[in-house]
Amino acid sequence: MIRLENVSKYFPTRYGPKYIFRNLNLRIPDDRDVAILGQNGAGKSTLLRLIGGIDFPSSGRIVSDRFVSWPLALGTGFHRAMTGRENVRFVCRIHGIRDTADIEEFVKDFSEIGENFELPVGGYSSGMRSKFGFAVSMGFDFDTYLMDEILAVGDAAFRRKCRDALMAKRESSNIILVSHVEENIREHCNAAILLAYGRVEFYESVERALYRYQRL
Amino acid sequence: MRKRSALSIQKDVIFAIFVREIVSRFSGYAFGAVWLVLEPLMMMIIFIMIFGARGRGEFGFAEPPVFIMATFLPFRMLWQSTMRKNLGALSEARGLMGFRQVRLFDVFMARALAEAGLFCAVGLLLITGFWWVGFDPWPDNVLEVLAASFILWLFAASFGMLACMASSVAKEVEKVIGIITMPLLFISAVFFPMTAVPESYMTWLSWNPLVHAVEMIREGWFETYVSPMADPGYLIDWTIVCMALAMATYRLNWRRVIAT
Repeated sequence: MIRLENVSKYFPTRYGPKYIFRNLNLRIPDDRDVAILGQNGAGKSTLLRLIGGIDFPSSGRIVSDRFVSWPLALGTGFHRAMTGRENVRFVCRIHGIRDTADIEEFVKDFSEIGENFELPVGGYSSGMRSKFGFAVSMGFDFDTYLMDEILAVGDAAFRRKCRDALMAKRESSNIILVSHVEENIREHCNAAILLAYGRVEFYESVERALYRYQRL
Repeated sequence: MRKRSALSIQKDVIFAIFVREIVSRFSGYAFGAVWLVLEPLMMMIIFIMIFGARGRGEFGFAEPPVFIMATFLPFRMLWQSTMRKNLGALSEARGLMGFRQVRLFDVFMARALAEAGLFCAVGLLLITGFWWVGFDPWPDNVLEVLAASFILWLFAASFGMLACMASSVAKEVEKVIGIITMPLLFISAVFFPMTAVPESYMTWLSWNPLVHAVEMIREGWFETYVSPMADPGYLIDWTIVCMALAMATYRLNWRRVIAT
């Protein structure tokens, strides 16, 4: 269970604090795959970052007893001058895994980027980078995977592979997905959070959430 | 995934950043990791040649190249590099903040440790080189040199951390520090001993904590040299104040600082 208790978040701007959320209360169940919906600037990515623990609420707290992945967005945290393999090693090490050979091979295999794996990440195309990022996160056993617009990229074959990999993980983990692509949301999620007017609503049904979202 | 204690997470993260720091720094160069040592080594050799080749041995207690190395090496690698690395930690480590395990403090620690390791490696290489050529470069009192170097390193790391936190409020801090780095090199008694400075100037120069560090290292390196003003207590006071301020500002501000 991931629980948000009275979470407020604002960003200081020169016009004073700009509030994204005020006193948000939310429970995200462990057994649902949740989509986060909302218009641009509604705070979807911010919510994901808060859950991922790389941004912090201005007040309130976020309680979780799960291993949550880093928010998987295009090109997060990878060092451009380092090769794919070196980046994988780095991510392994900060997650406390010393024997990195297995994950290295898994990522090389899964990402389908071939010998680019031994080249600096800075030279990857955006498609390759998203494949690589997705593959790295699949190398770890998280309880919850956070994904920020990552499933929309990549070619059809790779998207199918992603879906299969997520299916395989489904027994032990769930995903929280930010996406604008309804097809992706319908495919991967069975619950939704709608962010609108500084408030948050949890929907048990994706269809109803999408219906509301389209009529905002 | 297994549960880890906060301390073991920090240990893992510092190790990971340390390795990343070492690997990434020269990965684009033809000679790769050799530059890690080669760059400071060349810098040392050039400065030692410029200032040490005077060859007159005017200070009586050491051969000029060794005299320059003894103080320029710690000043350059422990003070300048460590301080600058910590100062730049925030802007260069932004990408790392995408992982929840990584805290800015770990970046400071890893970078400072990497610089300390480089200092030891380059120092050993230089000393061995000098010895091979026929000088007598070994420190007379190794423990004293190491102790003074350690305090200097702590001071540099704390100062850099404090400056980094300050520069997140006012970017100008980086510019000011860039400007004073060069003059500091010349007023910190790196290329001359304090015994060569007239009494009236000595009082002024000794306000600078770096002078004390440099003089302490010199005293340890050359047994016959006795500094007229080196005061470990003064340097330690500065270090403690700097470190306390750095820790306090970090603790109060780290969330604001890493917010994008």
